[in-house]
Amino acid sequence: MPDALRPPLTRLGIAPGRLGLGLGLAILLLFSGIWAISGRLDLPAPEAMDLLARLAPPSATHPLGTDHLGRDLAARILAAIPVSLGAALAAMAAILVIALPFGAVAALAGGRVDMVMMRLADCVMAFPTLVLALAVIGFLGASLEASIIGVVVAWWPSNARLVRALVMSAQERDFVRAARLSGASRARVVLRHILPQILPPLAVLVSLETASILLALSALSFLGIGAQPPTPEWGAMLNEARPFFAEAPHMLLAPGLAVLIAVIAFNLIGEALRDLLDKREPYRW
Amino acid sequence: MVALSLQNLSIGAPGAPPLLTGMGFTLAPGERAGLIGQSGSGKSLTAAALCGLLRPPLAITGGSLDLDGGAMTGATPDAWRRARGTTVFQIFQSPSTALTPARRIGVQLEEAARRAGGADIPAALDAVSLGRPILQHFPYQLSGGMKQRVLIAMALILRPKILIADEPTTGLDVLTERDTLAAIDRMVEATGAALLFISHDLRALRSIASRALVLEGGRLVEDCRADALHRSTAPAARALARAAAALHAPC
Amino acid sequence: MLRFLLIRLIATLPTLLGMSFLAFAIVAIAPGDPVMMELRAMGVVPKPEDIAAIKAEYGVDRPFLARYVAWLGRAVQFDLGRSVATGRAVTSELALYLPATLALSVSALIGAVSISLGLGLIAVMAGPAVSAATRALTVLLVSIPSFWLALLLIHAFVLELGWVRLIGDGSLPDLILPALTLSLGAGATLGRFVYERVRAERCEDYVRLAIAKGLGPMRILLAHIAPRIIGPLATAWANTLGALLGGAVIVESVFGWPGLGQLILQAIGQRDFPVIQGYLVFMGLIFFATSLAADIVVVLSDPQLRRRLSDA
Repeated sequence: MPDALRPPLTRLGIAPGRLGLGLGLAILLLFSGIWAISGRLDLPAPEAMDLLARLAPPSATHPLGTDHLGRDLAARILAAIPVSLGAALAAMAAILVIALPFGAVAALAGGRVDMVMMRLADCVMAFPTLVLALAVIGFLGASLEASIIGVVVAWWPSNARLVRALVMSAQERDFVRAARLSGASRARVVLRHILPQILPPLAVLVSLETASILLALSALSFLGIGAQPPTPEWGAMLNEARPFFAEAPHMLLAPGLAVLIAVIAFNLIGEALRDLLDKREPYRW
Repeated sequence: MVALSLQNLSIGAPGAPPLLTGMGFTLAPGERAGLIGQSGSGKSLTAAALCGLLRPPLAITGGSLDLDGGAMTGATPDAWRRARGTTVFQIFQSPSTALTPARRIGVQLEEAARRAGGADIPAALDAVSLGRPILQHFPYQLSGGMKQRVLIAMALILRPKILIADEPTTGLDVLTERDTLAAIDRMVEATGAALLFISHDLRALRSIASRALVLEGGRLVEDCRADALHRSTAPAARALARAAAALHAPC
Repeated sequence: MLRFLLIRLIATLPTLLGMSFLAFAIVAIAPGDPVMMELRAMGVVPKPEDIAAIKAEYGVDRPFLARYVAWLGRAVQFDLGRSVATGRAVTSELALYLPATLALSVSALIGAVSISLGLGLIAVMAGPAVSAATRALTVLLVSIPSFWLALLLIHAFVLELGWVRLIGDGSLPDLILPALTLSLGAGATLGRFVYERVRAERCEDYVRLAIAKGLGPMRILLAHIAPRIIGPLATAWANTLGALLGGAVIVESVFGWPGLGQLILQAIGQRDFPVIQGYLVFMGLIFFATSLAADIVVVLSDPQLRRRLSDA
């Protein structure tokens, strides 16, 4: 390829994949860093109301302005980091706790066990994910916990299916077969030979799924059926901002950007990891 | 008149040691040569470079490559597209995956015929001893040998000036191998194409080409008659000749 | 062909049964007694005999499986019970709002498919710089929360430019903004999928042969790669419709589009279990039918599978 055609980054020796990975990790570090030092920042308490400064636009005292109860938006955005990100990470962890053993057992057992387990997953997957999550929340009653449970219920089967596919393809590898034939115990084969192989693609999956779960959870909070006021949560903050849409647009900007940036971070990491893992290069036409 | 000319050609990834260096040879129209060497000596890399099919980061890093008189080093994708098919065509190593699985053989051959500006598909099938019904078949319905003959029929239809056959008989049984080699022979005879036959098997090479080029570690170490390899000054060439002779010796 | 469809349909029966069981069980095991709730809704302090009477009316006094069978028996006759809040039949309530949600989801699907083909093909065909920019745009669109995008679009088009009105009557022009909001994110997600599939196919041997024949990129894409990816694409389209049916709730709520979203959010607030259950069943069936159609496309687009089907 003539040098001029190459994207400028590659000419500098930076692969776009690595750039995305770095950027995504940097954003996540930034979020956790800001959260860690938020106690030392000179911000009002996230629930402190100042009714005289309702709907105030950004200023020196309130860098992102205030909401309809005069609460400092910057403080609330920061206080929402552990709630919004924490909920997404907790949901993802719960999904993995279900999906990993489920998918792995189905793949390792094979035969009828596999068929029954996959049919079970199919039954859950037959519902649109967000619809199922809504229904679960409906039956549990609206709360942040309910929305996490709803998302876990709706999201685990597709992840279990992917885990199963990964384990199945890992099992087919020659060295795994060789290990099994040479009499290694089942646990040893799984832990030493299969697990290391499925970890990298699993990292891609986890990262991209966390992005979509974060979107779903904040959407549920936005609909008023996830995190409940006065809990600071980005989606819930946007919900509270809706009536003041025209008079205080600053209330919309910051929480939306916070969700957007966090979701971008997970998507960037996922896509970058996939690019780095994919060693195949397409033919040039 | 030269069909294929390589001068001091190097291939590698920019910033890494080259995989192929100082490669130079020419083929006259209708000439047949075999390119032989151990696995990893750079045979398939050469084949890919001759069709402009090197995948990044690999690229031609030095020297020149001329196809049918046209310089191809630094050629645009468009120039390569014009050259592929009718100037240079390649039959690949793994016939089982080479054809598009979702399209019928007939469609894939017609595409080649259109590219060549019209050609006699039935005659091409006859030349490689394939029946008409095959046109209605999908690749998965054919055996490896049949697929390889479909590719040779495709070459007959395209009538390229240069045909590169990259280990076309790998994975085929002895009888199928003989048929395939015979079909390549007829194709080259009929179209007057120059043939570069790539193989690690001196026996197959000798049956189709009289000239042998020996690759070792990314360098061309010998260019001589195929039956004179055992007298070569290059140890790699002599080793290949000895190995072939040992296989032929009565057990 | 007809036989194949029949066999496929029969093969899906266990999944359908499982779905119905899930939809039933999820209510049965939900915390909070719907009977008590109904009484409270009526403003009645329940007497034990009232409770028993209502329990008998709803059949809650019978064992779980018997209740499931009875529920299923009524469900196949389109009887999903009555809304606790309005007292109307759930099916007629849902049928009232379903067309609006379907119109929104289907037009968003059409938009998403067009956007995905545009984004995916530009990322595949264009030079490295444009391709990288397209992929960056795709990541941005995938990541943008639909509810926030909706608010931004309203701000721009309704408040600032005044091109669109917000309080509509559910007519076609009112559909544009909600459908656009829904289709941007879904289209980007699909576009990423198109790009990845095509890229993976471009690593295959058959593409190398097509290139060696001297074919141009367009021809290779349409004649060689497209037949290979149409099956996975159909599956992805079906999944996208599922995501849009769910996502519609969010967008309907922001734009005031009179679809099922409003109904379900109300039902969740009032803990109107029959409506929630009916919504789950309706959406599940629609999604299920779409997935089945996608399955059939997968079989038809693969010559090997197609052959097996005509042999059977």
